[in-house]
Amino acid sequence: MNLGRTNKYLGGLLIAFFLLSALLGWLWTPYDPLALDLRARLAPPGAGHWLGTDEYGRDVMSRLMAAARTSVTISALTVGFAVTFGIVLGSVAGYARGWVDRLVMLFTDTLLAFPSILLALALLSILGANIWGVILALGLAYMPTVTRVVRGAVMSLREQEFIEASRLMGHPVGYTLRAHVIPNCLAPVIVIATSMFGSVLLTESALSFLGLGVPPPAPTWGNMLAGARPYMAQAHWLGIFPGLCIALTLLGINLFGDYVRDRFDPRMKGL
Amino acid sequence: MTRFVLSRLISAIPTLFLVSLAVFTLIRLIPGDPVSLMLGDNIDDTAYEAMSHQLGLDRPIPVQFLLWLQGVFQGDLGRSITTGQPVLPLVLQRFAITAQLVLVAVGLATLLAVPLGMLAAWRQNSAFDLGVVVGATALMSIPTFWMGLMLLLFFGLQLGWLPVLGYVSPFEDFGAGALYLIMPVAALVLHECGILVRMARASTLDVLRLDYVTHARAKGLTEGQVLRRHVFRNAFGPTWTLLGLILGNLLGGVAVVETVFTIPGLGRLIVESIYGRDYPVLQGCLLFVAVTYVVVNLIVDLCYPLFDPRVKTT
Amino acid sequence: MISTQRLALPLLALACALGAGGAVAETLNVQLASDIRSSRPGVNRDALSDNVALSVGEGLVAFGEGGNILPMLAESWTVSEDGTVYTFTLREGRTFHNGAEVTAELVKQSWEATMAAPEFNCAGFFDGTRGARVTGIEAPDARTVVITLDQPEAMFLKNTAQSQCGGMAITHPDSFAADGTWDHPVGTGPFTFGEWRRGQSVVLEKYADYQPLDGGIDGFGGHKEALVDTVNLVVTPDRATAIAALRSGDLDVVPFLSTSEAAELTADPDFEVKSSPHGGMITLLMQTADPVLSSTEMRMAVAKALDIPQLVEVATDGLGTPNASLVPEGSVYHSAVHDEGIAYAPDEVPALLEAAGYDGQELVIQTNRRNPINENVAVLSQAMLQMAGINSRIEVLEWATQLDRFRSGSFQMSAFNYSNRADPVLAYSAVTASKEDRGSAIWDDPRAIELVAEATSTPDGEARQAIFDELHQLYLQQMPFVMLANNLTVSVNASYVQDYSTWNGFARFWGVSVDR
Repeated sequence: MNLGRTNKYLGGLLIAFFLLSALLGWLWTPYDPLALDLRARLAPPGAGHWLGTDEYGRDVMSRLMAAARTSVTISALTVGFAVTFGIVLGSVAGYARGWVDRLVMLFTDTLLAFPSILLALALLSILGANIWGVILALGLAYMPTVTRVVRGAVMSLREQEFIEASRLMGHPVGYTLRAHVIPNCLAPVIVIATSMFGSVLLTESALSFLGLGVPPPAPTWGNMLAGARPYMAQAHWLGIFPGLCIALTLLGINLFGDYVRDRFDPRMKGL
Repeated sequence: MTRFVLSRLISAIPTLFLVSLAVFTLIRLIPGDPVSLMLGDNIDDTAYEAMSHQLGLDRPIPVQFLLWLQGVFQGDLGRSITTGQPVLPLVLQRFAITAQLVLVAVGLATLLAVPLGMLAAWRQNSAFDLGVVVGATALMSIPTFWMGLMLLLFFGLQLGWLPVLGYVSPFEDFGAGALYLIMPVAALVLHECGILVRMARASTLDVLRLDYVTHARAKGLTEGQVLRRHVFRNAFGPTWTLLGLILGNLLGGVAVVETVFTIPGLGRLIVESIYGRDYPVLQGCLLFVAVTYVVVNLIVDLCYPLFDPRVKTT
Repeated sequence: MISTQRLALPLLALACALGAGGAVAETLNVQLASDIRSSRPGVNRDALSDNVALSVGEGLVAFGEGGNILPMLAESWTVSEDGTVYTFTLREGRTFHNGAEVTAELVKQSWEATMAAPEFNCAGFFDGTRGARVTGIEAPDARTVVITLDQPEAMFLKNTAQSQCGGMAITHPDSFAADGTWDHPVGTGPFTFGEWRRGQSVVLEKYADYQPLDGGIDGFGGHKEALVDTVNLVVTPDRATAIAALRSGDLDVVPFLSTSEAAELTADPDFEVKSSPHGGMITLLMQTADPVLSSTEMRMAVAKALDIPQLVEVATDGLGTPNASLVPEGSVYHSAVHDEGIAYAPDEVPALLEAAGYDGQELVIQTNRRNPINENVAVLSQAMLQMAGINSRIEVLEWATQLDRFRSGSFQMSAFNYSNRADPVLAYSAVTASKEDRGSAIWDDPRAIELVAEATSTPDGEARQAIFDELHQLYLQQMPFVMLANNLTVSVNASYVQDYSTWNGFARFWGVSVDR
């Protein structure tokens, strides 16, 4: 039996599970995720509330389902933003070198040297504390990593014969980048992107911990996890379940990411 | 080589300028200011204006920036608004603390993660591989503020092996200092290991499929020799880039770990100066962090040729 | 296995070494949530700096438990008939931490130096902007200090005793370094200011020659005897870490806890959780200049939609008690009138909303995550308003941002806490003013402003009571904001710590002993 295949299916299964629950959470949840029930505060998992209730008596399972949609959206859009702009900037910088490279790196390094809290604080105070502010702040914070890694990969690819050949054959730069350079540096990008997906979930949590994430009462896995910290001894389920959601999503994405990477890697074709 | 270093350092000046300018403007654009914080809910407008004037905050922002810049060229980063301490020594002192923590942690994480990642790749799809992937993923998915607290509760409280609170510089008392560093270092190592393992594994997988590895195997080299001589050298490149990024990132402060483990490091200083709107301290810190970035990235780029013979420094 | 105590820090060893000549020195380890801003009383301060200032320094007078004024360094005083000249007689034989005797001349110098400090927080109370102006300080003989004001001021002594003014602590000129900059406080309090490791710890040492006054502990005055040799304030920004340290014995006292964290420790016999209400106010502010909220019916609808007892119960984890009045429960001025509030009446809300012409506009409630009570108030109010048919949304701001919005009055609703107000008139004047004069003013009713001004210049007594009663009735008619409860300080200490208490939001380290 091939473990690689198992990984793929396991990854796919986990992703499908969370996407489905996000979808279901949109249409139906066992309870209203925002409704307070002050008589049933901090109820442990049991018959009425399968995963217990939080400090305001809200049903944890319903909140997790509602949070799935917000969290997955934030992560996907943030990673999408960071990867798209990171690849474009990084490949252009690494391939063109010279002043283009310097300009891109000036921008990248400036962003890198910026603490993400300050960036988030500034953007959230301009855009207001909402999902888009969080996505833009996190996207800008993650983009430089992708840019640097792509640039590094492109720099080493540039020296290789087949790129040289493409250039000598008179292909336009855009074509060479698209056809030869970018596909060959996708492997590290996919690793970073998949790790990033989970990391965004966590950073959103850290932002909530610092009071800057998606505002209450709307749930995200991250703000549920951050909000659970004072109740660690009293009501451990408040932290465990959103934590598990983040961990399992991350595992699914990573396993699936490895599979996608193998599919995309041109050197793997026909193997 | 020297020319390369020099030109890199010179080309960093615009970055430093841009960072300073952006920080200077952003922190002043965000609502809230040091004077309101100092006066709290007892605020009245006369006291507010008097104090703003006294701190020079009532001048136009460009003027304030030029004055600050002038100070920087004279080696004076100003004084903290909240505590009145001179900024430069404050930043250096805090950085030294963060640096020892981060360097030890990243060193250990690399030593642990790279071999693990390579072995996992070498035995791709084995139970060992799956274990490493799942383990690394699990580690990555625990936020440091949880990980830190769990370490604290287990080793500090449950077992009572390690001190829960406080900080002692290892330069003052090595034994005690090291004890205080164990948990924060562990929290960082566990977190950073995850991504490093996965990166090392991915790039090793890439290299293992290349023809010359097959060739080397065909030549009759042992697997150990193949891994050490051919695979490691070629697979370490992307991991190295990532390492540079992680190092640069962490040296800028590990606010969460420093907060949980009560370490007076640079990260906490930055966070506190943002929340306290302590403009001179924040500007000083970020200028310093930007310099650190430039230097770390320069070292990373200089080292590329060592691992990847295909890259020439130009 | 290595014991925690052995490892419990060179700090302890250091404290022991510094303690009295080789005998077993007792140290009280206390959490300090963030480092102090400066060591100078009343200058560049925050609440934690005030706490240190109040342990190290003493003023001429001090607040007693009931908000009354007690003699401290002054044993008595007289006020001239026109209310402008205060003559203090200093207590005999009081000494500074450097051994120098407290003389009228040094008191005069200390006051003058404090008032001249550019960052003196209370300048407004003494320079005429928020009351009378101090026109002169004289020292006619070694034990007499005469302070002259430009106009009568009923609040003068209370102003000097305020914690945010550092209690106008008298410090010796040795507190300044040779170059004239502030070095460290050389005061007269039961503790001396020891080593300050910035970002790490502040050490207070027992002042061996301190002569405690007779009687019991009373507010910031009375019998203030240091029973421990050292108080070690350890900077611990993370509360979860502080609680872990409390459990491991590295900390003995965590003076300021959120109510949810305290709830978890209440049942544990190893710890004592104490909650003490103070004059601070937990409020849900409304911007009366807002188009929607300018209607009294609308604001009344908001008040009636809130089940305040339930809200306070949950928001403070059962530790707080609702109080509809700005006059705290424990104050002598909290008469029966002040027990009256607006009752929870959701069935009356629709009619009020209709009268207000409300058609579903969304109200934004600002709050922050720094103070869990504010966040709780916002979340609970939002849900309760929603149930009553009032649309609202929560906006979580970082604290400095919320404070900035508060200062300029740019909010619709704000879950906001006022810090401790030592006198009802200070509480009323915090919210009452013309919005043109002060952006942060909430209640700009002319009659209310008039009454507050009157209360300021009325000395303690029945006339003052009548003013506060009228103010409260006016508040109930106009509902300019929702007063929910007085704020409270929740502290926890290990059960081997005896007689620790907080008062008016400040930790008192005198009278505390440790029996491990």
